Order: sequence, then structure tokens, then C-alpha cells
Amino acid sequence: MTPSIATILAPQLTPTVDEASLALASNANMALYASMIAYTLAMLMFAWHLAARSAQVAATETADREEVLVGSAGTTGAGSSSAGGPVSSAAGLTESGQESEASRQRGNIALMLTYLATALLVGSVVLRGFAVARPPWGNMFEFATASAAAVGLTYSVLAKRNRWQWLGVFIVSPVLLTLGLSLAVLYTEAGELMPALKSYWLAIHVGVAFISVGFFTIAAAIGMVYLVRLRREEKPPAKRSFIESLPSSAALERTAYSLNMVAFILWTFTLIAGSIWAKQAWGAYWQWDPKEVWTFVIWTVYAAYMHGRATAGVDLRRSMYIALVGFVCVIINFTLVNLVSTFVGMHNYSGM
Amino acid sequence: MTEPTTRATRDAEPAQRHTSLSTAPREPQLPQLGPLGLARWAWRQLTSMRTALFLLLLLSVAAVPGSVFPQRNIDAGRVSDYLAQNPTTGPWLDRLGFFDVYASPWFSAIYLLLFVSLIGCILPRTRQHVKALRSTPPRAPARLARLDEHVEVTTTLPPDEALAAARAALRGKRFRVHSHDTTTVSGESGYLRESGNLLFHLALTGIIVGMAVGHLFGWRGDLILPEGDDFASSATTYNTFSPGPLVGEDAVPGFVMTLDDLDVDFIETPGRSFGTPREFTAHVTVADEPGGPTREADIAVNHPLVIKGADVFLLGNGYTPVITVRDAAGEVLYREATPFLAQDGNYRSVGVVKVPSASPKQLGFTGFFLPTAEPSFANGPVSIFPDAQNPELALSVWEGTLFPGGAPQSVYTLNTEQMTQVPGDDGQPTLVRLKPGETFELPGGRGSITFDEVKRFAGLSIRTDPGAPISLVSALLATLGLILGLTVKRRRVFVRVRPAEATGDTGAPATVVTVGGLSKDADPGLAAIVRAIGAAAQDPHAERTDRS
Repeated sequence: MTPSIATILAPQLTPTVDEASLALASNANMALYASMIAYTLAMLMFAWHLAARSAQVAATETADREEVLVGSAGTTGAGSSSAGGPVSSAAGLTESGQESEASRQRGNIALMLTYLATALLVGSVVLRGFAVARPPWGNMFEFATASAAAVGLTYSVLAKRNRWQWLGVFIVSPVLLTLGLSLAVLYTEAGELMPALKSYWLAIHVGVAFISVGFFTIAAAIGMVYLVRLRREEKPPAKRSFIESLPSSAALERTAYSLNMVAFILWTFTLIAGSIWAKQAWGAYWQWDPKEVWTFVIWTVYAAYMHGRATAGVDLRRSMYIALVGFVCVIINFTLVNLVSTFVGMHNYSGM
Repeated sequence: MTEPTTRATRDAEPAQRHTSLSTAPREPQLPQLGPLGLARWAWRQLTSMRTALFLLLLLSVAAVPGSVFPQRNIDAGRVSDYLAQNPTTGPWLDRLGFFDVYASPWFSAIYLLLFVSLIGCILPRTRQHVKALRSTPPRAPARLARLDEHVEVTTTLPPDEALAAARAALRGKRFRVHSHDTTTVSGESGYLRESGNLLFHLALTGIIVGMAVGHLFGWRGDLILPEGDDFASSATTYNTFSPGPLVGEDAVPGFVMTLDDLDVDFIETPGRSFGTPREFTAHVTVADEPGGPTREADIAVNHPLVIKGADVFLLGNGYTPVITVRDAAGEVLYREATPFLAQDGNYRSVGVVKVPSASPKQLGFTGFFLPTAEPSFANGPVSIFPDAQNPELALSVWEGTLFPGGAPQSVYTLNTEQMTQVPGDDGQPTLVRLKPGETFELPGGRGSITFDEVKRFAGLSIRTDPGAPISLVSALLATLGLILGLTVKRRRVFVRVRPAEATGDTGAPATVVTVGGLSKDADPGLAAIVRAIGAAAQDPHAERTDRS
């Protein structure tokens, strides 16, 4: 904007955002900062929890070795001799609930901190929504915070039941990174929506997309852990770590598949809701605008993953690679496609 | 068809691999593969799950260039810019279809192959599924204790009553049940899984059919309508009219529409969103046919107007300055609300005035309309706000032949091949700068040009897509099929009863009930079902109170 605008438009410049909205927006930001602090603490605690697991795995390993030396005298407890080898006995460590006290405590504290951080983050998004009197995902900043909140919320809801304390650090760190980047790079003052976004489909289409991304993210995190776990199961490393204390690779793979399945169904719905909205806003339900293209690409890649997993001849590891490629596409769709001018399309909402 | 899930039924390849493992000599067989055999082999390859998987991945890769390179269907202007900036690679990319990716032969080939593969796969599967739906659950295996999930309970009920109770419990859980003999019951459930799978794939073809119908029978007309102007719809009155190949002339409804007013509102608060639009609403008066009763309506972004089955969308807007050109005698040669097309978010707009009746030479004006002109023109003609706060016209003046060779040309460009710029008194090319109400006297007695007033125009798009409902219903059915196909579990549960060995006292167990369950994929719910059936066989009354 050239400076001379002020001289020309001075009489017309009147503040239109009222005091109450501003107060709400600043409270939303306070909640966001508080949430980031809590997430940071949770991340450190999760890391410490994994350290406890590593220590315990190492201890189990020593016990196993001693046991081998002693032979089948049956003097060692904890039933590890019957579990058939060091790897599976370590895997049984969490499944049979024999997690060490330190590990369990740290994991639960980290989880509590995550609940707190997620509650603050969701609160921040809700406050922002009240401040702008619309669904709080109308620009990139709101987009990033809302999707981070969706990831945090999905994890918080599922973590306790599935005993995903070990997964925390892999979820909380990207969430924290997203929040930091969105504050540093993408921050936008609370403002109104451009006309193209004024529709109840914004709440439906984009809201479901967020939940879907929440599931995709957690599935991708588990998928990556699965690949590491699988490699170490096939070629047991000299030095064992917390990885050996996680559920077996087969169990991780099944979990990732279930989550991807839920995400895929939600993504299908996102695609359809988006088409319905596009028909209303732009007159055609499908025009291969870059955002549509990438939504479609994500859908196809995950469809390939679902097919791969259902085909007897394709191994599960390769299917998981496809799913992770799909997640890379999800990230591209939420970053590059929105920010880089190469992908100019109707989702950019400029020059209308 | 005995396989309970899709895993093996879809993929023909494991079977092929088994045959190739056999020791039969392969060499003499190969030459016998005639054209029919080759075709059958190709068909089997195409319809295999691996090919489908490969084509899906290929489709996703092939779709990406369309988001990276400018596309003609979205913005033809950016394609021309790209070609101008990349004179060596551009034409090659163009030849390979990179600017029309989604209409290119290679993209079409991929999705057509994918759909042929899909149909080739679901047809035999549908046949198998129909057969499975008609058949009864298979005979119980000899040792139920070997199945994934199993329980053994004893009960005081006699064997036939325990079996009947188990059968009723299976029925209650929506199992299809059948007794092949008097001591067993076989139950099978989850047929909806395969039904859902088939529905999903079938519905995908429905989406494509809907798209094809829309392409063949749909039409679209775009027009620029200045405030206060009337528009009578017909196939010939739109600025651009693109009918589908099978659209008849009479398909276009002959309504009449007047744009009474176009409301626009831009954010004037300083900050990042300064100058971004807040509202666009076109207030129109519509008559369904010429001379018919009129009604008032609004068209806004996200709120199209439906007129006789056609949807009217407000897709753009801009300015049409009303410009008058007079000759030296003061005779009006041109007076029109002339559309200028916006080039940026601040509506710096370009347009052309063509005056063929001017003499001695035809006159042409080309240049900019600036809704809020930056007054110094230090960086050339620039608009600094999208609303009409300080409107100004900046035009250059040309004379000569407007339409060389009589070739058709766009109303938004001036062909200056046979034209020269009109010099001013100082010998420099004339620059006309006008505010509303001002008149500029052209040098050398060529007459005058007046900027009368600013009007807005609405960029309207009128469309019909008869295929859209087909696609929508198909998409919803596909989602339903997807949910069923992914979440329903195909389960088999078998129950066997045998008399207990010791039957001395009353109240001692009379019957041993064994329940075994089988599910192809990971199925955490199966254990609970097997336990529940066992409990029901043990004490049907307790089971019933459980459920109530």
C-alpha cells in the first residue's frame, strides 16, 4: 500500500472492529501462548517418559542375558523367559502392564499437560471464533491453529484408551512447530471473511477437513514408528531403546490402518462437501483448481494405500510408504498450495 | 466363493502364481497363447488389483502438473503469459498438454483405464457376491477350538435346547444361520461389507456418468451487465456461450434481467485486510419471459439465483465508465458504458473505446480506469483502493484502421497494426486523463471525449448442469458404500453341542457347548460375540435380560 492512501482516504477511515471483539481476540492470543507453554512442558515430559522406557528396556535386556547365562533354572521373575526372546519380551512390557513406575508417572503427567494445552488451544480457537463472529478458519493463521487444535484434540481423545503415551512426543512436537510458525509467519489480525467464504459450508467442509487431518497426522506418526519398529524387529540392533518397548510392528500397523481408514472416510466427505460448496460459490462443482487437485491427489494416494493393504501380494511396509506419501501431500496441500503463487486458483480469494 | 473377504477374491494373481509354480513345462504352452488368450491375459492384468493400485498412483502423479502449470480452463491469460515468458519450453509443454492437463490424452487414458479396470473387477465380484448372498453358511469345521476365537461352556440345558438358544442369539446378532446337522449351527454375518465395496465402486462410475452428462447436455453463458442495463437471454446474446455438444438451441431459457444496482463493500480499516472485499450483491429484476411478470431478486457470492432451471452466479464485477466521443461539430459518435476489466485487487482496469465512425480516420482509445487513482502517476497509472473513491480514466489515443482486413477481434484489445498514436501540440503522444464529468478536446480538430459517470458491472455466469444431481447422489452412495465396506466385518461363528459325560445328578451339566469364531481381518469385536453366544447357549434367559 502506498503511503499517500492515508491522505486520500482519511475521511473514510473509521475503525469498524469493536472493542469487545478486540478484547476477545487478545484473550485468544493469550490462551494460544499459554497452550504453547503447556505443550512445551508436555513435550519435555514425553521425552523423559521415553528415556524411562529406554532405561527399562536396557534393564530387561540385562536380565535376559543373565537368564541365558543361568540357563533355564527359572530363577528370574516377570515371566520374561516364557515370552520367547528378548524382543517380544520387551514388547510385552507395555502390553502386560509391567511398565516401570517412573515411566508410567512421567507418561501420565505428560498426558495431563497435553490435555491442558489442548484445552487452552481449543479455547483459543473458540475465542477467536467469537471475536470474528464466524468459524475461526478464514485465513492461513486461523487455518494453522485450528488444524493444530484438531490434531491435539484427536490425540487427547484417543491417547488414554490406547495407551499412547509413547506417541506423545511425535504428536506434540509438530503441533508446537505449527503453532510457532503460524504466530511468527502467518499471524493475521482478527478480521472479516471475504464474500466467497461467507457460507455455512465453511464450518462443514473445512471443519471436517481438520478432523480428517488430525487422524491422518496421528496415523502418519504411528506409521513412521511402525517402519522403525519393523526394521529393528527384522534386524535386532546391538543397542536397544524405547522402540523395543512399544507394541509390536503388526499392532502398530493395524492401528495406523484404522486411523487412516477413519481419516479417508472423512476426507471423502470433505471432498464431496467441497464440491457442493464449489457449485454454490463458483457455479461448477469441479474445476481442477489447485486446491481441488491436491485434495483429489490426497484422496487417490490414500485410496491406493487402502487397495494396497487389501491386496494379498503387496506387503504392508510398501503400503505404509504409500500412506506416508499421502501425508506429505496433505502437508503440501495445507502449506505450499495456500502460500506459493504458482498454485494460483480460486481458493486464493484474491482479485474477485 | 468361500473366501469371506475381498482380499483374495479381487486379486487374481496369487492363483496365477500357483500355476506358475507347478512343474508343468512352460515352453510348449507359450506359442499356444493365441489372440484370444493374449486378450484374456491382458484383461486379467488390467483388472487385477495391482494394476488398479498402480493406475491410482499414476493418476495422482498425473494430476499434479495441472496445479503447477497455468491451465486454460481456469485462466487462459496466464497460459499466454507463460508461453511468452518461456519461448523454448512453453510450446513443448503446450504440445504435451500441460496447459490442459485434465483434457489431455494421457490423463484421460489413465482414468479411462482405471475405470475399465474397475468395471472389469466389480462385475465378476458382483456375480460372486450375489451367489454368496443366496448360499447358506458353510459346514462347521471339525475342531472349533482351532479357530481364532473360541469358548467352551457347559449348561444344564439339553443339547437341542442349548443349540436352539445359540441359534436364536446368532439371529439376534443378525447372523444368517443354518444347521447342516443336528449338533451344529453355522452363522455368517457382514455381507454388507462386500455390498458396500461394490456399491462404492459402482457409485464411482456414477460420478463419471454424471460428469459426462453435464458435459454433453450442460451449457454455460457468461456476460458483463452494467448497472441499469437489460439483458435478454438467448443463445446469441451472451458475451461467451459454451454449449455442450448435445445442447439444442431451445435449451436456453429466454428470461429478461435488469441489473438495478450492484452493492460492493471493501474493508477500509488500515491493516492487512485493507482493501479486501466484504460484500458483493447484485439486485436484479427478472422476468421469466419477455413481457412477462417481473420480480426482484438478489444474487450474491454463494447465493446463486435460479431462473427456469438455470443457475445465475455472480462471479465477477468491475467498472464500466460511461464514455462519450463527439466529432468536431459536437455530434455524438459513441456513447456507451464501456467495460474495463480489473487487473489487480485494487481494480486497476484495462479497456478500449473503438469509434469506427470517426473521420477522417477511425479513432481508438486504450488505457486504464483507476477507481482510486494515485494522483501523481509517479509509478504510472496505479489504483490504490478497489472502491471508486477517486476515479480517473487514463487513455492513449490512436487513429487509423480499427479492423484491418475486417477480421473479428476482442472488444477488450485494440489492434494497433494499422494505427498511429495521435500526437499532442508538443509532438508527444497524447495522454487523456479524465475525471467524471470532464471533457478532453482532442488535438487537431478530431473532436472530444467525455467521461460522463462511473457505473459498475456484474460479471454473471448462467449455467446448467443436468449431470450434477447424478454425480451428487453417486458421491453420497459412494461414501455410504465406503463406510460399510471398511467398517462392517465379515464374520463366521460356529456352534457345536455334545452331551456332557457325567449326567448323574439333576442340576449337573447336561451339555457341552463349543463356539468358534472366524474373521478375515483384525477384528477386536469377534471375541465378545463368541463369548456372548456361549453365554446365551448356557443360559438363554440371562442373555435375554442382558439385552433388555
